Amino acid sequence: MLFVGDRQAKGWRIAISALAYGLPFLFIIAPLLSFLTYSFFWVEGGQMHYDLTWRNYSRFFTDAIFIPVLWQTCLLCLAVAVLAALLGYPVAFRLATLSGRRKYILLMLVLVPLLMSYIIKIYAIRSILGGNGFLNRFLVWANLIDQPLTLFVFNLNAVLLTLTVLLIPFAILPIFLSLERIPKNLIEASTDLGASNWQTFCRVILPLSLPGVVTATSFVFVLAIGDFLTPQMVGGPNGFTFGRIIYSQFGAAFNWPFGAALSVILALVMSAVIALGRRFERQT
Amino acid sequence: MMQLSRLASFGLSALTALVFVLLYGPLLVPITSSFFEIARGDVQWTSPSLSAYAALTRNEGIITAFLNTLIVGFSATFLAVLLGILFAIHYRNGATFGRDLMQFVIFLPFLMPPIMIGLSLLIFFRETDVPRSLLTVIIGHTVFVLALAYRTIVVRLQSLSVSYIEASYDLGASSWQTFVYVVLPNLKSALIGAAILCFALSFDETMISLLVTGTDNTLPIRLWAMMRLGFTPDINALVALILAFTTLMCVLAVRYLLPKEAEGT
Repeated sequence: MLFVGDRQAKGWRIAISALAYGLPFLFIIAPLLSFLTYSFFWVEGGQMHYDLTWRNYSRFFTDAIFIPVLWQTCLLCLAVAVLAALLGYPVAFRLATLSGRRKYILLMLVLVPLLMSYIIKIYAIRSILGGNGFLNRFLVWANLIDQPLTLFVFNLNAVLLTLTVLLIPFAILPIFLSLERIPKNLIEASTDLGASNWQTFCRVILPLSLPGVVTATSFVFVLAIGDFLTPQMVGGPNGFTFGRIIYSQFGAAFNWPFGAALSVILALVMSAVIALGRRFERQT
Repeated sequence: MMQLSRLASFGLSALTALVFVLLYGPLLVPITSSFFEIARGDVQWTSPSLSAYAALTRNEGIITAFLNTLIVGFSATFLAVLLGILFAIHYRNGATFGRDLMQFVIFLPFLMPPIMIGLSLLIFFRETDVPRSLLTVIIGHTVFVLALAYRTIVVRLQSLSVSYIEASYDLGASSWQTFVYVVLPNLKSALIGAAILCFALSFDETMISLLVTGTDNTLPIRLWAMMRLGFTPDINALVALILAFTTLMCVLAVRYLLPKEAEGT
């Protein structure tokens, strides 16, 4: 144990304790609490009213715009999560079958994009998408299509593609970890008992890796639904998502309390998804 | 894992390759085109040039933004590592009130969506009349990267045997001497690794900065503003430089953080 024993230690210990409780309280708990409180304030005609009401929340439920957008965003993020898990699974499997230096390098290649600037990745993907983007130009140049495809213009499809590409590494890691945890002797037993590789995969490996797949899916979903930069950059005028609406409350619409209330609702949705994921994990 | 048949192995590798094309392919577009001029929205593939890079050195907005990013990055890293050590010692000392709860609180900003932590700080600063500036960005980044620094340091501190510390006390060292001469040297590689990771994260952080900054730009915010205008050579050059820098940080972080055995095998 540190800072016990001598006389000067007591002073150190008190100072450390004060900081260890005080700072997180001041810079993490207090902002979150003020955020929560703000969601009960209200704005009218550009004027903040500091009395507590439920009107932001009731506006969310009564106004015809918000629930459909939230639902649409949930479906979009679910699609992103499923796509990312489907694409991530083979990579995780490949990683698990490799060993030594090659495994290490491949794992590095999965991790490096995580530290790369989010906004730069969006920008790079954006340069490929779009009616005039590199993908369309390449396809026209290669004479594969006559007209630029409208599939890649800036809309919700572009958001779906971009988010999937951005979040694949987050799907790969949990699946990889769950594959690594499967005891080798189970696989050997299956092979010894005469199962083919395919049977071993379907009956032993896949079921045992499902918790990882569930974690990956809920992880990607939560990351996708909290994002507002991607829809802002590649969503175009029609690619409205819930995150973008929240962001606009703090910019153009200038209704901070309502934005805070919408964020609280978003946080509730996220917590529900995480809890649901946990439950599935325990069952499988 | 099991022995794969040739066909299965080939299929897996092909799918893996496809995913890596998706992950890295898009990045090649701005990097490659940064070495060519762009005229009327088309890349001039016939005339390679470094003019975009030369133009960057004359762009004062970008240079200021870069300096701001460095200031924020170094300050947030320093604060996060310092607080990380402090909180880790607090945790290690044990038998303190609500210690797991405090640990959870420290992890919260890293686990929650950045938009929420950014908005919380924005509202908090407004209500406490702290003007938005680089200082608020530094606080935002520190809160965000702290979890990473803390986690790295506390893991290393936990693995440090108590007998070292007891031996130091038995030999007559004071608490402070024990900390400086026994604990710190043992934490060295964890501290360096944590610092690099924190700096790399802060260097690229966009969502929180965008919400809590005032008129001062950091590099990602500057980029975000520039990108709305479209695909231009100076953005491409900047993107290429930042990517090179981030990759370097990754390699350094792995060097210091991964146990030595993993490298050789």
